[in-house]
Amino acid sequence: MASLILPGPHRGVRARLAKTHWPLLILLTLIALAGVITLYSVAEGNWRPWALKHAIRYGVAACLLLGMGLVPIRYWMALAYPIYFAALAALFTVPFIGEINMGARRWIEMGGLQFQPSEAMKIGLVMGLARYYHGLRAEQVSHLLYLIPPALMIAAPVGLVFIQPDLGTALLLGATGVIIVFVAGLSWRIGLFGVFGAIAAGYGAYRFDILKEYQLRRITTFLNPDLDPSGQGYHLLQSKIALGSGGLDGKGFMQGTQSQLQFLPEMHTDFIFTIFGEEFGFVGSVGLLTLYLAVILTGLSVGAQAKSHFARLTVIGVVATFALYVLINTGMVMGLAPVVGVPLPLVSYGGTVMLTIMAGFGLVMSAHIYRD
Amino acid sequence: MMNNHDPERQEVVSRRAFLFGGGVTLGVVTIAGRLYQLQIADHDKYLTLAQENQFNRRVLTPLRGDIVDRFGTVLASNRKNFRILLLPEQSQNVNETLDHVSAIVPVPTERRNRILREIRRRGAFTPIEIEDNLDWEAFTRINYELPHLAGVLPDVGDTRDYPLGPATSFVIGYVGAITDADLAAQESDEDRNLLRQPGFKIGRDGLERTYEKELRGKAGKMNVVINAHGRVIEEVKEGAVLSQQGKPLTLTIDAELQTHAMEVLATPGERQPDEPQSAAAVVMDVVTGDVLVLASTPAFNPNDFNVGINPTLWRELNESPYKPLLNKALTGAYPPGSTMKMLSAIAAQETGVRPSHSVYCSGRTWYGNRYFHCWKRGGHGTVDMKGSMKHSCDSYYYDIAKDLDIDVLADVAKRFGLGQTYELGVPGQKQGVVPSRDWKRSYYAGDPPNQTWFQGETLSAIIGQGAATATPLQLCVMAARVASGRAVRPRLVRAVGDLILPAPDAPAIDVNPSHLDVVRAGMNAVTNEGGTAARSRLQDPDWQMAGKTGTSQVYAITAEDRARGLTKPEDLPWARRDHALFVSFMPFENPRYACSVLVEHGIGGSRAAGPKAREIMRKVAERNPAVRQTVDPRELVRATVPNREA
Repeated sequence: MASLILPGPHRGVRARLAKTHWPLLILLTLIALAGVITLYSVAEGNWRPWALKHAIRYGVAACLLLGMGLVPIRYWMALAYPIYFAALAALFTVPFIGEINMGARRWIEMGGLQFQPSEAMKIGLVMGLARYYHGLRAEQVSHLLYLIPPALMIAAPVGLVFIQPDLGTALLLGATGVIIVFVAGLSWRIGLFGVFGAIAAGYGAYRFDILKEYQLRRITTFLNPDLDPSGQGYHLLQSKIALGSGGLDGKGFMQGTQSQLQFLPEMHTDFIFTIFGEEFGFVGSVGLLTLYLAVILTGLSVGAQAKSHFARLTVIGVVATFALYVLINTGMVMGLAPVVGVPLPLVSYGGTVMLTIMAGFGLVMSAHIYRD
Repeated sequence: MMNNHDPERQEVVSRRAFLFGGGVTLGVVTIAGRLYQLQIADHDKYLTLAQENQFNRRVLTPLRGDIVDRFGTVLASNRKNFRILLLPEQSQNVNETLDHVSAIVPVPTERRNRILREIRRRGAFTPIEIEDNLDWEAFTRINYELPHLAGVLPDVGDTRDYPLGPATSFVIGYVGAITDADLAAQESDEDRNLLRQPGFKIGRDGLERTYEKELRGKAGKMNVVINAHGRVIEEVKEGAVLSQQGKPLTLTIDAELQTHAMEVLATPGERQPDEPQSAAAVVMDVVTGDVLVLASTPAFNPNDFNVGINPTLWRELNESPYKPLLNKALTGAYPPGSTMKMLSAIAAQETGVRPSHSVYCSGRTWYGNRYFHCWKRGGHGTVDMKGSMKHSCDSYYYDIAKDLDIDVLADVAKRFGLGQTYELGVPGQKQGVVPSRDWKRSYYAGDPPNQTWFQGETLSAIIGQGAATATPLQLCVMAARVASGRAVRPRLVRAVGDLILPAPDAPAIDVNPSHLDVVRAGMNAVTNEGGTAARSRLQDPDWQMAGKTGTSQVYAITAEDRARGLTKPEDLPWARRDHALFVSFMPFENPRYACSVLVEHGIGGSRAAGPKAREIMRKVAERNPAVRQTVDPRELVRATVPNREA
């Protein structure tokens, strides 16, 4: 039947679709479902304003993922530099034409659509770096001279995002870039050197007031949240209370008192894991974490099996971004990482991030479908 | 491409990816471990914290007990206090919010600064009062504009209300805001908690202060579910203890007489048409001791005090020469002047002077090394004891005083109620001075040469001058005791809650009745037989009023003054003019009411105080409150709200 509907050249599409990594898509869908449930609960049992939109967005993003997956990975490789530089150019324009939102310029408007170049850069950077290392021979990877281009490729967007200011995304971009460079085969010696350099840079940033006051406060709060329970540490403390009071099996769907009584900030975005943990307990949160880990490990295995060097590094870069999101966000809400405003992928409400993540996995899917 | 199938690179990437995967797994395990710590190991701790977050014990403040007069007229009650609070945490911009509020209810800079200070002190999560005692219109406008006033919380509390305002301020007192000292004085944490409730007030003066415990009532408590902003989401009815309104107080006061007396006192006298009247009056039931009127002018309005008095008004009240903050009926002690003469006449009789004893008054009496003047320059001629009272002849008493032991006079004065305070429940009573040898010894204890009593001082004391002082309340008690022959004691509170207090017992005074009869006849002559207060006579034959004038010297006009042409008291500045006094009782035949009136610097008892007493007593006779049905305190208790929700 299908061959009748999709005759001729489309037979290939059908065959490609059959090679789609369905388990990965199912895992992602389960995670998004957890998001829908939690957003429904946060809205006190209402599909609006978040749950329904989240579900629809996921549906659209899943189609995008499949669509991107059907595009051969070598096409993506051809687009890698253009995408990277387009994103960089867009980032560069933000300080001039960007919308001010919550005290930072992060958005630009294009044809009536709001668009966050820093999000596009998450894909662009991964692709750009993968493309760069694709062209290097093994022995060149650890050569210092060949380290300069990727260093610049990472530093430029990180710097631009940092001045927006968006510390969380800047750190995320930087970390993703470093991971790709590391996975590409950077020698341990240079790696260690780089780590010390980063620590020195961090200290310098602290020492010479490069961080904004609120960013500094977040870090000091993270180091000692109980110091000021009604001020900066308040959110973190409330988050811990909500999680901790959830217990083994949680207070039940829509029964989270701390969240329902608005003790938590940003419940539908950055602190959504807290709500989930309060209502579904240790069992539920570990379950969700397991889903994330499964996605990450599946992704890494796809990367390891990919045909081209570009594909491998792109897949690992996408997975790295995803993993960083998960670790930073969950660490943040339970006091293991500073509160830097990183959403929980596919669960937090937010269209741009969802689109970035799913587009990333579209590349993963492409690498999988065109693995041979 | 050659690079595509570079096994070396693929191996490195796979190895590193594996390493990375291990790192992520480690990270996830760490996160899971942390979750274990939070959700399993420390679950109990966080559950408790969550409940503390969620439940808040709310104190239900009790309504204060009402205060009513003998017939049930409300003198102090509670009314709704519409106020607006600010929850800074919910306000995007406190200054902007206050600007918006200002458009409806003015928020002066001073108050704004105080609000901003409070926010810094108490944090963003505590509501802070922007303004209270709003009128209904302003309150509804605030409510209407609420969608545009982020962080503003309209709130309805209770505040004390005194319907008669200044008329009863000296009896009832007022309530005021809590101080740290009040908190420290509370015996239990529960009381302290109650006092900490926003807007809670405590009795500051008068009966409000004395009966604080009874009036306050009992606090209730209730658990409420609150959200992060402190907003109550749900009230937990189980286990709630409702508050109990305080006990009502039933007074002996007759509100209508009280109001009337205040008006009479405040009306300027004929000799001082432009002077505000700084005066006091007390009316008592001579049988029961019930105080029907306890008035003092000018008076403050207690309703200005419980909302937090404004500094300008406070300064005015404090600096006024007419002392509107002073209850002159109790806390003002004045030389009793000629109102002392009844007691002097009794003392004289007790030392053997017969009523028929006559003295020739030439207008002055030589004693020691100087003249003692009678108030009447030309003298009264020959007067007997009754005539000495009728005409208030000083010379008669100078003559008696030459041989009178001051301690006998002091003893009589004390039997008739001077020199002591009474349990009225109104703080601040002055004891007054009853001069005696003992008194002088203790008064001049550090100054040996002055401790001896000189007979010349008796000449001053016998006409109520010199060291002798008495409060209008004591003078009224004196008049009541002269009228009844019983040691009547005044009282202000008839019942606390439904407990009716017995009238204080009034044993017969140890005095010869015939001595009293002479004194009463003398007082009758003052008003009804053409005496010094003939003009203050009550015409109603059923209510024949006997009285006695008094004028107590504040400043003696000197020869120098006379040389400057200063002869009449009106020529003196107000504060140097003599005090005017009048005491009376009625009906003469079967006394029921006694009254005292004082007009500070009113110049003369017969012209300034007498007419006021007459007008007050005329109204007393008209109402005759002693025989009217009084309110049943049990009805009041039934009418109070027995318990009350927040």
